Amino acid sequence: MTTSDNTSSSESPGSSAPSTLVAASARTPLWRDVVVLKWVTQVFLLAVVLSAMWFLASQAGDNLRARNINTDFDFLERPVDIQLGEGIDTHPDTGGRALWAAMVNTLRLSVAGIIFATVLGVIVGLARLSDNWLVRRIASGWVEMLRNIPLLVQMIVYYSTMTAALPRLGLDAGPINGWLHVSNKGISMPRVHIADGFYQWAVVVLIGAVAAHFVRRHRQRIQDETGANASPILWALGTVALFGLVGLVVHPAFFWLGAVFGAIADLLDSLPNAVPQLLLSAIAVGFATTWISRFVSDHRSARGHLSLTDDDWFRIAFTALVSLVLVYVAVRWTGLSSWILNSGRDLFGVLEAKFDVDGAARPFDAMRPDIVQKAKFPNYGKNGLTMSIGFASVFFAVVFYTSAFIGENVRGGILAVSKGQTEAAKAVGLGRGQILRHVVLPQALRVILPPTGNQYLNLVKNTSLAVAVGMSDIVQVGTTVFNQTGRTLPVVAIWMLFYLSCSLTISVVVNWFNVRMQLVER
Amino acid sequence: MTDATPAEPTAGQIRDLSRGRDMIVCEDVSKWYGDFQALDKVSATIKEQEVVVVLGPSGSGKSTWIRCINRLEIHQEGRIVVDDVELTNDLRNIEKVRSEVGMVFQQFNLFPHLNILDNVSLAPIWVRKKPRAEAESQAMALLERVGIPEQAQKYPGQLSGGQQQRVAIARALAMEPRIMLFDEPTSALDPEMIKEVLDVIKTLALSGMTMMVVTHEMGFAKEVADRLIFMEGGQIVEENTTELFFSNPTEDRTKLFLSQIL
Amino acid sequence: MGGFGIGSRNSAVVPSANVPIAAPPEVLKLPPREWVKANLFSSPFNSVLTLLTTVVLLAIFRGFLAFVFDPVRQWDSTATNLQLFMTRAYPDDQYIRIWFCVAVILILTGVSMAVWRAGSTMPVAAIGHKLLGTGALLVLLALLAPFSASATIQWLVAALAVAATGEVLRRSPGKGEDERTVSTLTVLVIALAGLVASLWVVPYGHHTYIANRVPRVLAEPGTVALTTKLPWTVMLLIVVTAYFAGRLMRDRLPANPIRATLMVLWLLAPPVLVYLVLRDPDFDIGHVVGTDLPIFLAYATGGAALLSWLTRPSTGEAGRIIAVLILLVGFCTFLTPMRMVVRIDMLMLAVFALAAPTFAGGPRARKRYAVGWLGVLGVASWLITSINTPSTVEVPGGFFIGGLSITLMVAVFTILFSFPLGIGLALARTSSMPIFRHLSTGFIEIVRGVPLITILIFFSIMVPLFLPTGMHLDEVTAVIIGYVLFSSAYLAENVRGGLQSVTRGQHEAADAVGMTTAQKTVFIVLPQALRVSIPPLVGHCIGVFKETSLLAIIGVFDLLYIARIVIPGQTEFMGSARENLLFVSVIYWIFAYQLSKASQRLERRTGLGER
Repeated sequence: MTTSDNTSSSESPGSSAPSTLVAASARTPLWRDVVVLKWVTQVFLLAVVLSAMWFLASQAGDNLRARNINTDFDFLERPVDIQLGEGIDTHPDTGGRALWAAMVNTLRLSVAGIIFATVLGVIVGLARLSDNWLVRRIASGWVEMLRNIPLLVQMIVYYSTMTAALPRLGLDAGPINGWLHVSNKGISMPRVHIADGFYQWAVVVLIGAVAAHFVRRHRQRIQDETGANASPILWALGTVALFGLVGLVVHPAFFWLGAVFGAIADLLDSLPNAVPQLLLSAIAVGFATTWISRFVSDHRSARGHLSLTDDDWFRIAFTALVSLVLVYVAVRWTGLSSWILNSGRDLFGVLEAKFDVDGAARPFDAMRPDIVQKAKFPNYGKNGLTMSIGFASVFFAVVFYTSAFIGENVRGGILAVSKGQTEAAKAVGLGRGQILRHVVLPQALRVILPPTGNQYLNLVKNTSLAVAVGMSDIVQVGTTVFNQTGRTLPVVAIWMLFYLSCSLTISVVVNWFNVRMQLVER
Repeated sequence: MTDATPAEPTAGQIRDLSRGRDMIVCEDVSKWYGDFQALDKVSATIKEQEVVVVLGPSGSGKSTWIRCINRLEIHQEGRIVVDDVELTNDLRNIEKVRSEVGMVFQQFNLFPHLNILDNVSLAPIWVRKKPRAEAESQAMALLERVGIPEQAQKYPGQLSGGQQQRVAIARALAMEPRIMLFDEPTSALDPEMIKEVLDVIKTLALSGMTMMVVTHEMGFAKEVADRLIFMEGGQIVEENTTELFFSNPTEDRTKLFLSQIL
Repeated sequence: MGGFGIGSRNSAVVPSANVPIAAPPEVLKLPPREWVKANLFSSPFNSVLTLLTTVVLLAIFRGFLAFVFDPVRQWDSTATNLQLFMTRAYPDDQYIRIWFCVAVILILTGVSMAVWRAGSTMPVAAIGHKLLGTGALLVLLALLAPFSASATIQWLVAALAVAATGEVLRRSPGKGEDERTVSTLTVLVIALAGLVASLWVVPYGHHTYIANRVPRVLAEPGTVALTTKLPWTVMLLIVVTAYFAGRLMRDRLPANPIRATLMVLWLLAPPVLVYLVLRDPDFDIGHVVGTDLPIFLAYATGGAALLSWLTRPSTGEAGRIIAVLILLVGFCTFLTPMRMVVRIDMLMLAVFALAAPTFAGGPRARKRYAVGWLGVLGVASWLITSINTPSTVEVPGGFFIGGLSITLMVAVFTILFSFPLGIGLALARTSSMPIFRHLSTGFIEIVRGVPLITILIFFSIMVPLFLPTGMHLDEVTAVIIGYVLFSSAYLAENVRGGLQSVTRGQHEAADAVGMTTAQKTVFIVLPQALRVSIPPLVGHCIGVFKETSLLAIIGVFDLLYIARIVIPGQTEFMGSARENLLFVSVIYWIFAYQLSKASQRLERRTGLGER
């Protein structure tokens, strides 16, 4: 870290300062220079944080060694003895498969929860503003009751009530062939599921999506030119649907993609470690150089005059240093590169296997509920779409709980739309429903969306309480996995990665909608 | 306070400023905001006890300049020397200059969570390290000097704009500065309150305080200033004694400005 | 680390938990018939809606009553285990300690209510209106519940009595000059007194559970046990006396010193009550005099001397260098094995030394600073010593308290410790220094992106592994650390909203009078920012209180765990989970709802919402 230019700000390098006029000023001692102090403090804090982490990690390392606990990820490929209550695989053969099935359960719960909580939340919010006194009071009672009782308590109340009140799945329950079956083991109904030909069909739909993009652009242009409503979105959706339908017939045509993926997997297998190392280093250096060059050009005036404070120079130096550290890590940590290569190879290997099916395979199939009798106790089999009591209680709890918060957001958003808007709409003769749909809601949505996005994030995180009612979500299965294998740290790392990616995805989606809303406003 | 007798000639004319010390020296001060050059080689010297009024259209860089002198903004080229202390990255110099230069803002910027007495005495207690009792009696004396001792226990939100600005002046004076900077002190005030604030500033000028005032009040400038500086586009366009500035401006841009404003 | 918050602008503003519903005042100026027409039957659609919801509502209410008053329900499981719910297995012969703690909290509450002038007045008619509503609800209950005929009549009579009282009160003079009003505090005290009096009169029955006796459940008719009704009566007297004592103090003494003292007492109460009173450490005098006292004295004298030098205005930059050196020494103590208290004291001294120039001043200011150091050091040393001393209170398994006590304890400690941490994170996140900002942003966003339960599981398992050999932390402490980190990230976002509301002019004004960054932050920025953040912070506190229920998943004996696992596990009360869960829900609801109401009142009083 250079400190050559800390004497005074008048000597910014790269400037054409008329130095003749500036009398030599006394050199500022380092410990009194604000810029130096600022950066020394920051680097000091960084050092403290890093050394504290190092201290804790080494401490944990010693303790783990002393207790013979490993921290590697090999449990993902080792057999485990776990049974999931429900999901894509109830008897997974490896730890990785178990966690994957649990993740799918969490995702199902989250997606279903978000959809139903939104619908219920909007109803609650509108009811809070109803003309009807009784409806208004019920809605506010709903909100005040649900959000002042801990979610976990609600969840457990639903769970105990359902297990106690629903009919038991008796010992004599034989094969069933109905549409819906409810018992204290869960709720089961027929399901449509993905079959072997699905991935080939998905390629057709993907092509359809690309085509739909162009169709939408085309229709949009027509609408912009003629002014008539050309409904571009509908056309785009129609295109996708058309491709989907055609795909049901023509999908075996894409069998050759399997060979392509196989070739890529072989190529990745043969690549030396140096390739990802070089790639990572190039990315690190590339990011740093673009950041620095953008930074410099931002600080350059139209006349090409560069004005950088000492602080800016420190920032540039720090960025360069960080990129060098990253390059060092990429080069020295060979495990990272081979992991990238291996997982890339595995990914394409899996894709190859997915396309390696008989040409007549259907993309979709349907099945109806059944009952299996493992050991003594009857249970629902894999054929139906089954929701266990645990799943149901978590689902109802998060939907009801979140609906109270979303309802308040909806109410606040609608109240934020000024009264004048409603009166103006009434004045031009719009009906109550029309006002709500065309005037109030579009404007209120801009206010409602950001806090509701936060509620979606909370909902996804709240599904983790499923561990309390024994529903096999990622936290429950992860706990079982580390109890069996002792790999606490890796499992916690997987949890964090999973939830952070969920949060990131929701943020990106909601922000995308938000930006679109702001555009509509203009 | 001492020679507060209303005098026909301006303060500068009865005082001989030529032999005074240089209080503020600016040499080729330049500053950019990204592409935009806010100050372009501004050079000026302000003597002890001198009162300088800075004029100019909005966006001409006069506020930026005055804020650079207190290092609320950091200049990028040139030198600023305040009372023989150069403004650099040196922590000690910055502290010294800030405690010697008082500043009054357009928006008053009183601390809304403190009462008037605490607003004035806070900095003397914690920056000047004065005992509380002494700081508070000094604060009361200053409030008396700006004419609102009875408001000492109220909060800024309960005061009118003019009263707030007078408190802001008292707050700056509590640090016993040798230089006062005024950044459009009357621009945010209702017309009927401008006079009470200008009167306070006038008395202060007559007491011999070195002052730089950015203002649009021409009458005030004529009456109080020793010297006027006209800025435009980040540059000093014209600099002259008050009498000559108004009676015989040399630059065309100054003439245009004066014709628009008078 | 990018922000995961949605719409970065808004993420700071949205409170993590309850935004109190500002109920619009119901205008009841219309005569009843017209009111019903306007609010229930204004259109055909509305009429259908009203009829439908009424039917559904009555059906639900009836179902609920059928559940509650079903003779199969084991409500005696709740009554018998009330003590378990409150304190778990705290020994009976030491129970006076619990009552002492309750008394201290009540005294502080009473005095504070008087000093901060809590409470307001409400019209008598409003009380009448509420009673009338309650009476109507009771009539409905009497008619719908599965009672015998005589019980129905008894309930009806009681309901009508309540309604009649309400109607009489409601007819008292309404708006205008002679409107009769009554202090809300009076109403509260009358209600509480009624409750306490009922303990002496009403035959609730005397239920106890004694683990080492057969039969273990005791259920006798009559009023509740003397060990219940007597202490509560005393508590009521204490809080009323404290309130009047507080009023006396408020009128006789200067306001600021009293308020400051009360604040310090409120801050000190939780750790002192939990670790000194409830836990009752068995001090080893020899060890205290031989080791703890010398360490304390060394730090006290050395620290006071050093700080009084550092707070001299003339010390200047040399002071900063010394402070940084002390900080470095403090960190270096972690490299060598030594007593934890030496390290903690050293770090505290470093913090005080770093802050010294901010509070420098004349002899009085310097003396005050040194005394502050002695106070903090004394409390910290005492607490560390007593935490490290074995307890004399013998409680089988787990932490020494449980149930509602541990719920409240975890909530209070979490809020207490996450406050400074959250404020620090918020300051770092809004700082102009990029490394501070990135570190803080990274921490906040990672913690906010992960569910609380994973953090709690991680801490309950991993904290013992992070500790150097020879150090132990019980599970509850480890979990509280997890709670604190989690809560501080959310709290930081709330405070950040407040910090962003402090205008740039305030910063500039503070700079212009020569304040240092630390002085500016402490005296100008934080007071304003915190005031703006009060509503979201109260919401956050409610959230923390609700989140303590997650303790049950970790296996700590909190309210929920006792209701779901412990009581249904008693052979006498198999299958009583639903009754006890309902009871626990009601407890949580009362606390959370009252907190949110209180925050609404506070907001209205300070006019915060209107800004």
